[in-house]
Amino acid sequence: MNLSLRTLLQQREFSVFAMLLLVALYLTISNEYFLSHRNLMNVGRQASVVAIVALGQALVIIARGIDLSVGSVIGFSAVSSALVMQATGSDVLALLAGLGAGMLAGALNGLMVTRLRINPFIATLGMLSVARGVALLMTGGIPVGYSGWAEWLGAGRVAGIPVSVVIMFILVAVVHIVATRSVIGREIYAVGDNPKAARLAGIDIAKTRMAVFTLTGLLAGLGGIILAGNLASADPNLGMGYELDVIAAVILGGTALSGGRGSIIGVLIGAMLMALLSNAFVLLSISAYWQVVTKGLIIIIAVGVDGLQRGPDADE
Amino acid sequence: MITTPEVERDKASAPLLALDRIEKSFGSNQVLADVSLVVRPGEVIGLLGENGAGKSTMMNIVAGALQPSGGAIHYAGAKRNFTSIAEGIQAGVAFVHQELSVIGSLSVAENLFLGSLPRNRLGLVDFARIYAQSRDMLDAIGATWIDPKMLAGTLRAGEQQLVEIARAAARKPRLLILDEPTSSLTPHEVSAFLSYVSRARAEGTAIIFITHRLEEAMTICDRLLVLRNGAIVSDCAPDDTSKAQIIRDMTGKDSLFAYRDRQKHETEVALALSGISDGRLIEDISLTVRRGEIFGLFGLVGAGRTELLETICGARRASSGRMELFGQVHVPASPHQALRAGVALVPEGRKTAGILPQHSVRRNASAASLRNMGGGVFVSAKEEARKTRAELRALSVRMTSDGQAITTLSGGNQQKVMFARALLSGPRLLLLDEPTHGVDVGAKSELYEIIRAAADQGLTVIVASSELPEITALCDRVGVLSKGRLAGLLEREKMNEETLLRLAFSEHEA
Repeated sequence: MNLSLRTLLQQREFSVFAMLLLVALYLTISNEYFLSHRNLMNVGRQASVVAIVALGQALVIIARGIDLSVGSVIGFSAVSSALVMQATGSDVLALLAGLGAGMLAGALNGLMVTRLRINPFIATLGMLSVARGVALLMTGGIPVGYSGWAEWLGAGRVAGIPVSVVIMFILVAVVHIVATRSVIGREIYAVGDNPKAARLAGIDIAKTRMAVFTLTGLLAGLGGIILAGNLASADPNLGMGYELDVIAAVILGGTALSGGRGSIIGVLIGAMLMALLSNAFVLLSISAYWQVVTKGLIIIIAVGVDGLQRGPDADE
Repeated sequence: MITTPEVERDKASAPLLALDRIEKSFGSNQVLADVSLVVRPGEVIGLLGENGAGKSTMMNIVAGALQPSGGAIHYAGAKRNFTSIAEGIQAGVAFVHQELSVIGSLSVAENLFLGSLPRNRLGLVDFARIYAQSRDMLDAIGATWIDPKMLAGTLRAGEQQLVEIARAAARKPRLLILDEPTSSLTPHEVSAFLSYVSRARAEGTAIIFITHRLEEAMTICDRLLVLRNGAIVSDCAPDDTSKAQIIRDMTGKDSLFAYRDRQKHETEVALALSGISDGRLIEDISLTVRRGEIFGLFGLVGAGRTELLETICGARRASSGRMELFGQVHVPASPHQALRAGVALVPEGRKTAGILPQHSVRRNASAASLRNMGGGVFVSAKEEARKTRAELRALSVRMTSDGQAITTLSGGNQQKVMFARALLSGPRLLLLDEPTHGVDVGAKSELYEIIRAAADQGLTVIVASSELPEITALCDRVGVLSKGRLAGLLEREKMNEETLLRLAFSEHEA
């Protein structure tokens, strides 16, 4: 019991969760509007897209990769989905087009990393620009009106809870089970821990990497549909800078950039903390510019604390 | 054998280093208990012991990397306690670690001067000077053929080791600590290195030598010190002991390293290679291995042993030639495909290519066979625990629980976990690359038993090794590689050290 309490305290998720509670407590005391249903649902909605995309990102990072293209893929998928909706009027086709566009971009990332052996950082940095450019070309830079199922996904409610929040919780549960109990999940951790050893042990590391990049693309596609649905419009610039929030959520949640370590529950907590912090800036009416500065600082501090804890030996 | 003349010994008899009842604990785990030792200038001391006996801890304390929990250290006549490695270096203690720390993208000379690169008038690196001085540094330890201008990364592991020794030797240390310096050296390199040792000794340098090679230790050391479970169990001159006695001191039991005649194996061909080349490091290799056989692959470092195993297990593509596995064409595109065909590998370099350092013992063992644990998409935790525990127990892996981190096990036990991983995948052909590298004598004999038992049950085993005693103790038949070519195949009866070495060097002389 004592031991399990100590291990709990040592978990990164726990310290982030404590931070989450502290921020929530402070906001509860300092602002009466914070605990209102409407505000909480807003925070949840804000957290949901970051969390959904971060689920894929976490798996990529656990497998010792990184995906910088998620923000652009959000925009590309949203635009693809909205254009198909306009052209065909079919909700099903529009949904499939959005998810398919995301998957396609993710699979291309995976192919660049596994077949062309391009470093994930560079491959997805390239995709960041390509996907955004294609989204701008497809629309001529002008937002496309979007209605139908996407609106329900982005702005609808189930029993008073935003649909996107419900989707987030379902996906967190699914991805958590996949990561901890499935063969592919366990192989993702093994590949990230020691790719060479994993390969020689007979793990199909190309397949594993393809899977995590494709899944991330798919989830970014879903994120794009939700965001566009919420605004009832697909802006080709949608999701600009989202990669920062997503990666911050993953790192805050205790996932190591060096691979092989991280938890899905942590990602959820990380995403909620990010959403809560931006909410705090609004409620406390601090300049939005400070919010931009803070986001960057959070990433630096989270990784810095991790580095300090590991000590200088980790550089060897 | 080289011995220091008595006169010299007397002249320099004031001890350089004296450990007085040193103790060291990590938490509740006592690693060293009551260790006392006196080292005189010009003495060469062999430090022997199983992995986990406390050798590295003891040397790290001497070098200043660790602080003792109790006891006193006297160095050069004064009570000293180095609080950092830098302080130890200042006082003339040099420690060459077993793990290579050469930077591959820099030249040999830059590596030798790393941290103190001299500058010319323009403030740029004075290359002319470091090349000239590097030449002298390398010559001093007998590595005359290594060019200081070469990129260190292009050197073989043994040569990189020599570069590190040259760096330490150039500081003219009063006490030189070498952790398994010869484990990756070829016989030629070893003899060059040993001549340096005798020169340094004549100049009054005290040398402490951690090694697993008993013959070598008995030849060059003045005293042999055996550590077992954190205590010194014997300390005597090589003449006053024997190999068998040292093994008994190290393990507490007799060791059986003799070949055990195995039952006649079957005639079924497990693996047939014909004309295998990879276009670079292996050329035109043809051989057959029968089912249930323990087949050895012997060769010097760089002979192509690892490359041949990698080709068989799909980690490397053959550019020409044909492989057949139990009568079927075998063209694996990846280790994953080879594993599915029943080929498992225990790779060389446990730390870099074997263990998953952030995973538990159990998860390290199950990594190659997750698909057989519950069948299909999900891993059944129960079945995983049951299967891995059974295997870990069968291999008698010493651990407190299979949930502990693999990195907390000793090298020998980690290696057993690597065996468990390979065996759990249910292979038909088991490839072992330097299976007992850096493993202590006790674990070694256990691993040999594991290999024999697996082969007795019909598993075909290929053992690649650069250690002659290992080949002769284990193998029913051996193929000798020399510079990537098959220099000869020897049946059991014709296997002796002289013939094996002659074949291993055959392409070098041509």
